[in-house]
Amino acid sequence: MTTASFATHDEPGLESDASGVALGAGRNQISAGDPERDIAFERDALPWLDDVYRFALSLTRDEADADDVVQETYLRAYRSWHTFIPGTDCRRWLFTICRNVFLRSRERQRPTVDLEDGEQDAVAAGSVYAAARERGYDDIYARLDLAPALRDAIDELSEPFRSAVILVDVEDMTYESAAEVMGVPIGTVRSRLFRGRRLLQEKLLTVAEDLGFTPAGAR
Amino acid sequence: MSAPARVQLEAMGLSSTCADVLRHLWDYLDDEITPEGAGRLRAHIAACPKCQSYELYQSCFLEAVKKLRVDLGAPNALRDKLAEGLKGQGCGCWEKVRSDR
Repeated sequence: MTTASFATHDEPGLESDASGVALGAGRNQISAGDPERDIAFERDALPWLDDVYRFALSLTRDEADADDVVQETYLRAYRSWHTFIPGTDCRRWLFTICRNVFLRSRERQRPTVDLEDGEQDAVAAGSVYAAARERGYDDIYARLDLAPALRDAIDELSEPFRSAVILVDVEDMTYESAAEVMGVPIGTVRSRLFRGRRLLQEKLLTVAEDLGFTPAGAR
Repeated sequence: MSAPARVQLEAMGLSSTCADVLRHLWDYLDDEITPEGAGRLRAHIAACPKCQSYELYQSCFLEAVKKLRVDLGAPNALRDKLAEGLKGQGCGCWEKVRSDR
């Protein structure tokens, strides 16, 4: 892990209850059908529908499956609204539910990898860079539109690395927020993220070679 | 640092300070390290052409990933289905799901 001078925040993520909703019950107790709940749900939860859909689609990689996950996420959120703590990050709360719904729908794909040494991957990424530089490919991200290949490479990443990359790199979450969504310590998010990035860079280097990308020095 | 990592660093001909950049550049670019650590890395990168190139490479990579965030919204069919689901649970704001499309 990191040294004192480079300390990252390393705290456990929120625990989840049996329904997959972040704990915090009792702070927002409103009876079912209460107009106050509807107003709060409309104000705090509904604006994130597009974001939750995008996240669900990135997890499922299938539009119909994403629809089902989002539907279940919002219905579960509405039923469990009393567990949402007013004033906290509702988007993060919804993402947490969304990911739990997704994982429950694919029990066999639950993450089993628990890497702690993100620095190994950070250093290994340096080796990928060295290889890219040797071949004149060290400016591929600046020179090439790798978006389609990058999207494919992320789709091919296995869980839990894909979720870490999507939450932090695509959805712009902090390690802490991603840790809450994934229900793991921050150090675990970091190691998964670094592994995911390193795998992506290896993949993109291969894609550049396969495409016959002209090295910078050969132009 | 583990032995394999040390071997890789030596093979790349980097100093120990460059090794700090190698290990923590992502933390730095993600704004996830202490201000002191960030300052130390920033100072080294500013004085080290090798690390400047590496920072540029990693910055461009992260920027490329961030650009994947397209403005992709929930489809109307999903909004209709969700609105019906919320209505079935007695949610008073179910119509809002449709009107937000």
